[in-house]
Amino acid sequence: MSSSDTRSDPPAGSVPGQDALGQNLSDQGAAAPARPAARQGELALFAPPAAADEMLTPARMINEWVYCPRLAVLEWGRGEWAGNADTAAGRRAHKATETGAAPALPEPDALPDDRTLKTRRLLLASERLGLTAELDVIEADDGRVVPVDIKTGKRPHVAEGAYLPERVQVCVQALLLREAGYTCEEGALWFADSRERVRVELTDELIATALGAASDLRLTVAAGRLPPPLDHSQKCVRCSLLPICLPDEVNWFRKGAIARTPPPAATPALPLYVQTPGARVTKKDFTLVVQVEGEADRAVALDEVSELVLAGPVSLTTPAVHELLRRDVPVAWMSSGFWYLGSTGGQGPRSATVRTAQYALAADEPRRLAFARELVAAKIRNSRTILRRNWRGEDGERGPLLDRLALLADRTARAETAAALLGLEGEAAALYFRALPKLFTDAVAALPAFAFERRNRRPPADPVNACLSLIYAVLTRTFSSAISVAGLDPWKGVYHAERPGRPALALDLIEPFRPVLADSAVLMALNNGELAPDDFVSAAGGCNLKPKARRALIAAYERRLDQETTHPAFGYQVSMRRLIQIQARLFARFVCGEIPRYPHYVPR
Amino acid sequence: MARRSNAEHAYVVAYDISDPKRWRRVFKTMKGYGRWLQLSVFHCRLDGGRRAEMASALEDLIDRDADHVIILDLGPAEDVEFAVESLGKSFQPIERRAVVI
Ligand code: SF4
Repeated sequence: MSSSDTRSDPPAGSVPGQDALGQNLSDQGAAAPARPAARQGELALFAPPAAADEMLTPARMINEWVYCPRLAVLEWGRGEWAGNADTAAGRRAHKATETGAAPALPEPDALPDDRTLKTRRLLLASERLGLTAELDVIEADDGRVVPVDIKTGKRPHVAEGAYLPERVQVCVQALLLREAGYTCEEGALWFADSRERVRVELTDELIATALGAASDLRLTVAAGRLPPPLDHSQKCVRCSLLPICLPDEVNWFRKGAIARTPPPAATPALPLYVQTPGARVTKKDFTLVVQVEGEADRAVALDEVSELVLAGPVSLTTPAVHELLRRDVPVAWMSSGFWYLGSTGGQGPRSATVRTAQYALAADEPRRLAFARELVAAKIRNSRTILRRNWRGEDGERGPLLDRLALLADRTARAETAAALLGLEGEAAALYFRALPKLFTDAVAALPAFAFERRNRRPPADPVNACLSLIYAVLTRTFSSAISVAGLDPWKGVYHAERPGRPALALDLIEPFRPVLADSAVLMALNNGELAPDDFVSAAGGCNLKPKARRALIAAYERRLDQETTHPAFGYQVSMRRLIQIQARLFARFVCGEIPRYPHYVPR
Repeated sequence: MARRSNAEHAYVVAYDISDPKRWRRVFKTMKGYGRWLQLSVFHCRLDGGRRAEMASALEDLIDRDADHVIILDLGPAEDVEFAVESLGKSFQPIERRAVVI
């Protein structure tokens, strides 16, 4: 069935490079050879029958394999899924066919021979073929059955009446019907938008293509291989896995070609933070309702929440938790001081492939050190960039400082050990933080409360340190979520050692983002006068933000995430928010060995 | 140019529902998609996927013979200045911002 297809049907007649077979063979690269069935002298060798504990291959996945092998493997082998406008339209078209009762299909020998019978949503499976399919409609007439698959969109104008992936899918349905003992001589496709029916002829060639595709898909998944992305294909534009697959970015490493446009975000949803002590979050209809005593309730549409962040004594009802789990929206649990405690839900793809590769990388000393060198270099370069861009101090001090930081960044390339890297990082951090007050406006610099001498933590001793600590914690959480969604384990680091309660991988990946995202958000809030000295309370040697000030600072950070930036490797414009998601996905690709290095975010 | 499926558009959704029970259900459903503007009018900001989901959810609720829903597309939410004249209360386009409570 097509209702949960990851992509739309190919746009009618608008896919360039379509040959007479209706397939864009050049797109599929080496991973999808044309089936040799029609040629002489070759024997098609199929995968052995499915073992008992193996999953049967759904007809829908074979359709996807023929469309793009990578799509089928990402979805079926790696448990990745994303929807888009086309998949939503597909569901809508499908629902329209689901009215009324669905009569069951009688046994093959009890088929009425003089009338047409229709049934819906029939599940068929065959261990022998290793295949399964959900059939939209089956018509029975005169002892023969015809599977009819419903598609959104219009009938494409190609010689065969429909594109190969759809014909292959119907063919698998027909084979399963035959396996169940029915006489099935043809299949059909129903195009909902143009209300046209297309007959699918079950030629030997089509059957061989379908069985060959099923076999190739099963063997590829069993071998743990991920086929390469398509190259500049129109298919990717319509593919809902585009934000996950990153075809242009992965190809960039192979060919150096520039990516076209940034992959779209999977959803426009944004985080919802609840940090007012005593607040209560409940679910009502299609919204989350936040109740704070003495304030009007706030309702936020569930669809618009990408992540629920709860800091401190805030409660969440079980029905709300269930709904968030169902929607795969993570709940991040944090202490009042925004110390990341952990998450519920939002576990990312239903597969451990990426995590397994991540552990292997962490165990591989040379690879680990190579990554760490580039990481520390990126962090030092980015602190230098922040100083260079926002300098308000003496001109004479600036040059030598920037030179020194550039030198330290260059030295990372020759660091032999992680300890040596730590030394370089420490020296750069000391220089950078000593210079930080030179980035304050005169108005801020004149306030004794905002004096800043050095970075200190746990507890932060002064307002500027309190702001930095808070934003670093929030940044850690942003990355922890992006990392989990990309299938990685936030607790296992590459540069940072593991320690209980420490999301080491998030701490690794945020290093280059600390100056350009977190520090710049704090600078923005201070220099714009969004925070005043009486927004802070000092107690027991530590300094903290009052709830209202925390709200303002987090809002400034979230605004910073919405700002656009240029990706230094790919050259396109994206929001920082989207950039972080892309970087997490790229890191997963790097970990799996699909791309040779992780391109750190180092803006100019 | 073809509409990027993930780009958000702004919409006005207005409905006439003849049965109070169904009206209530439509009202509740619409709260999941937009901001309540007036009695049977919502203002929404949706990408292509949510736009299709909303239409599908409404289709399930209404009686096709007795009720009527219209979905007016005001154009891309990010790049277009809506020419809206609002008398009395003010009209605010929906901005996509993280909510911090
Ligand atoms: S984005 Fe392109 S390469 Fe990636 S899965 Fe989709 S169609 Fe295949």
